Amino acid sequence: MWLHVRLSEVCLFLQAMFILACCFSDMESGPIATSGSVQPNGDRFKIEGRAIVPGVKTQDWISSARVTVEGEEYIGFLRTDGSFVVNDVPSGSYVVEVISPGYKFEAVRVDITSKGKMRARLVNFIKTSEVIRQPYPLQLRSSGPHTYFMKRETWGWTDFLMNPMVMMMVLPLLIIVLLPKVVNTNDPEMRKEMEQSMNMLNPNPELPDVSEFMTKLFSGSKSSSSKAIGGSKCQNITCTSGLRNYCNWSCHGNYNAIFKKSFFIRLYNCFLSRVFFPLSNNPRVCTTLVLCQF
Amino acid sequence: MKPPAKMSKPTSLFVIFFSLFVMSEAVFEDQVGKFDWRQQYVGKTLFAHFDSHSQSSKKLFLATDKNIFASFNSRTGELFWRHVDKAGPEGTIDILLLHGQDALMVVGGGRLLRSWDTNMGGLNWEAVLDTGSFQAACFVAMQDTVKHVAVLKKAAISLHYLTNGHQKWVENLPDSDTVQYQAVYSGGEEEVYVLGVVPNSHLTIIAYSLEDGEIIKQRSVEAPWLSSVESSCVVVGHGVLMCVDTATLALYALPIQSLDLEVSPGFQPVLVSSQPHPARSPISEFFLQLGPDHHVLLQLNADGYTIAPLRDFQPAFLVSFSTTGEKTVAAVMTPKNETVKKKKNVASCMWSYSSDVFPPQLYVHAFLKKDDSVGYRVLVQTQDHALTFIQQPGRVVWTREEALADVVTMEMVDLPLTGTQAELEGEFGKKADGLFPMVLKRLSSQVILLQAWLAHLWKLFYEARKPHGQVKNEVTIETLSRDEFNLQKMMVMVTASGKLFGIDSKSGSILWKHYLENVQPNAVFKLIVQRTTAHFPHPPQCTLLIKDKDTGLASLHVFNPIFGRKSHIAPPALPRPILQSLLLPVIDQDYAKVLLLVDDQYKVTAFPSTKNVLQQLQEMASSIFFYLIRSDQGNLSGFRLRKDLSTERIWEVVLPTEVQKIVAVNGKRPNEHVHSQGRVMGDRSVLYKYLNPNLLAVVTESTDAHPERAFVGVFLVDGVTGRIIHEAVQRKARGPVHFVHSENWVVYEYWNTKSRRNEFSVLELFEGTELYNSTVFSSLDRPHLPQVLQQTYIFPSPITTMEATLTEKGITSRHLLVGLPSGAILSLPKMFLDPRRPEVVTEHSREENLIPYAPEMPIRTEWFINYNQTVARVKGIYTAPSGLESTCLVVAYGLDIYQTRVYPSKQFDVLKDDYDYVLISSVLFALFFATMISKRLAQVKLLNRAWR
Repeated sequence: MWLHVRLSEVCLFLQAMFILACCFSDMESGPIATSGSVQPNGDRFKIEGRAIVPGVKTQDWISSARVTVEGEEYIGFLRTDGSFVVNDVPSGSYVVEVISPGYKFEAVRVDITSKGKMRARLVNFIKTSEVIRQPYPLQLRSSGPHTYFMKRETWGWTDFLMNPMVMMMVLPLLIIVLLPKVVNTNDPEMRKEMEQSMNMLNPNPELPDVSEFMTKLFSGSKSSSSKAIGGSKCQNITCTSGLRNYCNWSCHGNYNAIFKKSFFIRLYNCFLSRVFFPLSNNPRVCTTLVLCQF
Repeated sequence: MKPPAKMSKPTSLFVIFFSLFVMSEAVFEDQVGKFDWRQQYVGKTLFAHFDSHSQSSKKLFLATDKNIFASFNSRTGELFWRHVDKAGPEGTIDILLLHGQDALMVVGGGRLLRSWDTNMGGLNWEAVLDTGSFQAACFVAMQDTVKHVAVLKKAAISLHYLTNGHQKWVENLPDSDTVQYQAVYSGGEEEVYVLGVVPNSHLTIIAYSLEDGEIIKQRSVEAPWLSSVESSCVVVGHGVLMCVDTATLALYALPIQSLDLEVSPGFQPVLVSSQPHPARSPISEFFLQLGPDHHVLLQLNADGYTIAPLRDFQPAFLVSFSTTGEKTVAAVMTPKNETVKKKKNVASCMWSYSSDVFPPQLYVHAFLKKDDSVGYRVLVQTQDHALTFIQQPGRVVWTREEALADVVTMEMVDLPLTGTQAELEGEFGKKADGLFPMVLKRLSSQVILLQAWLAHLWKLFYEARKPHGQVKNEVTIETLSRDEFNLQKMMVMVTASGKLFGIDSKSGSILWKHYLENVQPNAVFKLIVQRTTAHFPHPPQCTLLIKDKDTGLASLHVFNPIFGRKSHIAPPALPRPILQSLLLPVIDQDYAKVLLLVDDQYKVTAFPSTKNVLQQLQEMASSIFFYLIRSDQGNLSGFRLRKDLSTERIWEVVLPTEVQKIVAVNGKRPNEHVHSQGRVMGDRSVLYKYLNPNLLAVVTESTDAHPERAFVGVFLVDGVTGRIIHEAVQRKARGPVHFVHSENWVVYEYWNTKSRRNEFSVLELFEGTELYNSTVFSSLDRPHLPQVLQQTYIFPSPITTMEATLTEKGITSRHLLVGLPSGAILSLPKMFLDPRRPEVVTEHSREENLIPYAPEMPIRTEWFINYNQTVARVKGIYTAPSGLESTCLVVAYGLDIYQTRVYPSKQFDVLKDDYDYVLISSVLFALFFATMISKRLAQVKLLNRAWR
């Protein structure tokens, strides 16, 4: 399930891409500016350019690279300084690509008119008539080495601990262990507040409730804990309802234990909502899940 | 971060499953070379040069018939770099000249002049030459430095600077319509000589000035005996043209001199000479070849008029010169499989090296050793395209099987079982003979297994004690046996040169090779596995059908695919041209499948044709159908076998050749399994697949090539009834069409002429929600036509070949393996090519895991199964199932051979190779100890409580 959480960050981005792609699906390919006809006895032209791999010496990569025009229709080789010329190309529109097993280059579409005028533009297979000019003679800059390999999923303690699932298991455990020791669940004010905050999270009364579950749990162990916090006193704790509104509070005297505890619960609620909100707006999901965890 | 909840759900699903793909597909970096290997080849050598630039250089430069210029390490035979030019006549290498660090090449019949930096493997410059067919080229030197190169075309000569390729001058040759100019020569003077001949009339010599291309001298010599300059004339010594008269065998050194030599009847004498440096004159010694195996070493005397024979070499097949410093070496290859080395000053040494194939080319490299003696290296290319490098004492340093650069077809054959494995297998095959013997047998086989395991352990232990490096894990034919999951197989490869190879799929080592001597260069091959290794003690049997493309006459070569030995079974004589061959599922008493060959009179020959087979054929004749394609007539016809092994035509489909031509016809692979009969849809109903085993996919292309009117047609024809099941026409499209036909789908790729892009189209056939006859499929009884769904996608790259993965039982999802021109092999999930991909995502389509339709197909480098091990000019991809359902073996061949395994649905049936044994076992142990301790604690507690 935690995969969802992680991926939710990616999904916005991809979603945008996906919508973009859908927009283009009704493709229209109007006539292109340059003529695509090839005259059998017409002139032959040359496509010139230069390919650069930043930070790599040319001799390290040019011997395995070549320039292809429209697949393998015309082939050019790279000079020792990274420049290239593809000779003997008739007029038309071609996709020019520098192919290297080590480094990736963007393909460029080159249009050659029957008079030999050249133009370079971005390759767009969906909107074929779209023109985004590129410099000519071509300037092809590698965007880095190809990523052929996937990273192996390694196992580390930090990965394990930072895993939301594990955190979700550890935090309730802490709460279960620590809360009964500090919270005086017999305090009616406190109980009321807790219920309130829990109801915020869980509007559906039919479903089993975490707060109920908790209070039950706490009241079961009250006898042992009542002694420890019996002496604490706090008069005016007012808490506005709202998930992300933290309490407006005023407390006379010292920071007592009650406040600390209620704050803790709220923090936990917020944490839950944070974790699950990207996936679903329904808080039911998180409560039920937490129950499963218990 | 909080995306709108409504949208996030479908997209996140999409993303998840996208990511699953990514995981299933990619190679992990630590897996490099674990299951895969690549072998690179260059093809048959046309020109070879040793790098004599520096003394200790180990470079070797080759130009081959595959339009490749390559640099090799002469010590190991490994490639330094290689430049693959366009295939076909536009990329042919006409000549390769080497000078210092620069290699000069004329490409494409005199189209381009290229200069390479041999050190870096990059281009220095490329110059476009004027049109005209290329004749010859040579370096031109001036005052001992080589600054120019002269290129002779049919009607012009041009001079280019070596530094930048710029043309210095170009001159038209006089009378080029009558005179055939064939040679160009420069001897270090200020002149360039062009030699032309009017056959059987006279010889023309023109001297051009180096400076401005002016004709300085022009001379015509009567030579009614001369027909070609190329082979019969050489320049020897100080500018003396030596020509040989075929008829009288007189050597014309311009003044004519006769020699008492005898030429073999019907043989055109050839002269061989050498010019070690373009700035100097050629050496005065030269070879005269008098017959196929007769050479004479001659010397032009200092006076320039008299010739003295130095030595007669008979028999001698090949001769070659090499020069280092002041010393020149002549190498002579004699037919006793020996290389005779002879220094110019007669000190000769002999090496022997054995080869059973006639070598057509010989390259010698002489170099000065440290002690000033001459060392030699020899490169021999034999007729079977094997390239052998020999060091001085006759030691073969390396051999490259360049025939593998042109693999035509291949098969993968299971390896035989070992004795113990066979024993175990036999236990399951036999009929039960009582409980007690079965138990005994079981026990005995377990004991055998235990023994084998112990022996293995002992071997491991024994080898571990040995010093490192001595342990060799060489694969030999004797040690070959099937592994646990049948992942290691024998690759039987057939090459265009007629050489067969048996290659171990695990290591890539060549285990056997067999050269078929008299295979025509235009032959087509079909490799058929008639009997697999499963029928012990019968040996496996493969049959190679070799057919001459022009005459159609065919012959069979029957062999054992594991050992490469020719079988003693005599193949039938095939006097008539063969039209079609088909392998029947019928087996004879020796478990060999029956091969039927149909000749041009529609008579059928069976192989093997024993009585048993003929009887079976008679019984089954009425249910044996086959089809014939006549693409020149646009004719597709179906036949049925009669009881007397004659045939009758039952249907015919004519596709008029004026409109379209049949490009390819493809049925389904016979060893393909389809696991599920249908697809479960979102509403839990089942859409049944139309699984017609007799379905043929016929692809046609329009004869009209105009971009507006061109089209590509796909016809789905039932091979038994001739019924056209479906017909799809892609307008404004042209080939080359690549397609895969499998299960209930056809995927094809074509070029969209309007939008100028490659497109993939998928056709899927479904019977509907109900099956007509679920038990058996019969082409004759299918009243309903299938529902056909089609969808088309943009593919952002051209492709060179396509194949689908294949697994044992067909449970694993399918992937398409697409060979790209870049040499990468893309593994594309078939899921992306699903005509049911919805444009609008619905609840049902999400339930079905359908990816929403997107017009452009993604190409991700993580999906390249061969990462950076590119396969140049991928010609074919062969897929074979392994013993594991999840694993498919893949061999991509073209110029290179690449073997790997793919897991289209991840490795679901075995533990992954990165399985964390340490973690699992440590957790187990921890839990175990925790329980022990807690048990003890609980006991103590109980005890304490009892005491209380």
